Amino acid sequence: MTLASFTRPFIRVAAVVMLSLSAAGCANSPDAQDGAGISDPLEPVNRVVFGFNDAADTLLLRPASEVYVAVAPDPVRDAVQSFLRNLITPLIVANELLQGDLNGAQVATGRLLTNTILGVGGLFDVASTAGMPYQEEDFGQTLGVWGIGSGPYVVLPLLGPSSLRDATGLAVDTVADPIRVWAYANDAKGVLYARAGVSAIDRRSHILREVDDLKRNSLDYYATVRSLYSQQRRAQIRDNNTTEQKPDFPVFN
Amino acid sequence: MLTRRHILLSSAMLAIGSMVPSAVFAQAADPGASAFIQKLGDETVATFANKGLSREQAVEKFRTLLYAGFDVPYIGRWVLGRYWNQASPAEQTEYQKLFERLIVDTYANRFVDYSGQTFKITGTRPEGDADTSVTTQILRQDGPPIGVDWRVRKGGSGYKIIDVAVEGVSMGLTQRQEFASVIQGGGGRVDALLQALRQKVGSRT
Repeated sequence: MTLASFTRPFIRVAAVVMLSLSAAGCANSPDAQDGAGISDPLEPVNRVVFGFNDAADTLLLRPASEVYVAVAPDPVRDAVQSFLRNLITPLIVANELLQGDLNGAQVATGRLLTNTILGVGGLFDVASTAGMPYQEEDFGQTLGVWGIGSGPYVVLPLLGPSSLRDATGLAVDTVADPIRVWAYANDAKGVLYARAGVSAIDRRSHILREVDDLKRNSLDYYATVRSLYSQQRRAQIRDNNTTEQKPDFPVFN
Repeated sequence: MLTRRHILLSSAMLAIGSMVPSAVFAQAADPGASAFIQKLGDETVATFANKGLSREQAVEKFRTLLYAGFDVPYIGRWVLGRYWNQASPAEQTEYQKLFERLIVDTYANRFVDYSGQTFKITGTRPEGDADTSVTTQILRQDGPPIGVDWRVRKGGSGYKIIDVAVEGVSMGLTQRQEFASVIQGGGGRVDALLQALRQKVGSRT
């Protein structure tokens, strides 16, 4: 009751603020359901930014990730991933709470405590072994859980595929991030840049082969990524526990 | 307070009301579908665990398993979506041929490079009017398991897979949206897609 009375006004305010987003998002859902397309009114601009990102990936991120995989042994890379994940776990706890997912919040809190203490400051993911798997939550997903549609698809420079809703969520997560708050208070912005760089290489290093495959096999790489992104986000918002509106599979004769 | 309780109550009734018919009419998931996926998966693992195969042999085996397990013509037609009816019969025939080659090209390599993944069936549920979704987990040595859902339909020639969803991402829908983008980029002509497909699969054989 206390939790509900605390969060309800906040949710209401947030809902009002997001009303414009919601209106934009509504147009998206019937289309996505039909499978015909995704709202992408900015497609020409998006394609240019996508091309730029792809070039930056080819020239910098992919080679850097390849070197990283070649040089750093598995246990080191695992530790890096665990550490980075542990750093953002407070945000995951907050988002689970805002989504009303108490079980998820409990698991994320358990992970934070277990990995920080037993996992030596987050270097070892002891929690996963103990049956508390990592699940990523962000404010974009929280907005989705609140019923706000994705809005138009946007490709952000360097950050990649997003949507009006998810970009808004990303801005909120960035501002709310405890590490960022700490870094600003202690004049240690270098830490943030270092984390962003290592995090990009860490994430990219896990999908080296997949992205190569995708590029080689796509007729329209941009459209493929757009489709994957929008489906993946919908799956993340569902958290695998609600039935999704599937496209129709008719009988052809 | 009364009105609020009223709203709560009526929304609860609504929720129950909408659940009852689906519970009554929901068909049970077909156990045959799960047995079918188990058998197909076992065969696939056994085939590609054999590292003595040459590349050509492995691709040929893949093609055999693909047709045993998947309704490829159905998937091809579904992926083309509303553009299927815009295509001439000649275009439809060529499209299906190119689509099949694209599938083999895209997926054969992944099986040829098979490296010890196994799978386990974690559940089944009815899907749509007559289909069954078989949910599985692909177990890897080097990472967390991947959730894969197989949408199975029973037809004249037995069970066939008509869509695969990896972590909630449908392969069919991804291709449908990609193909639609290619066609729209080519001024709404199906021929634009055929051209792109010819270039893609033609350049590799």
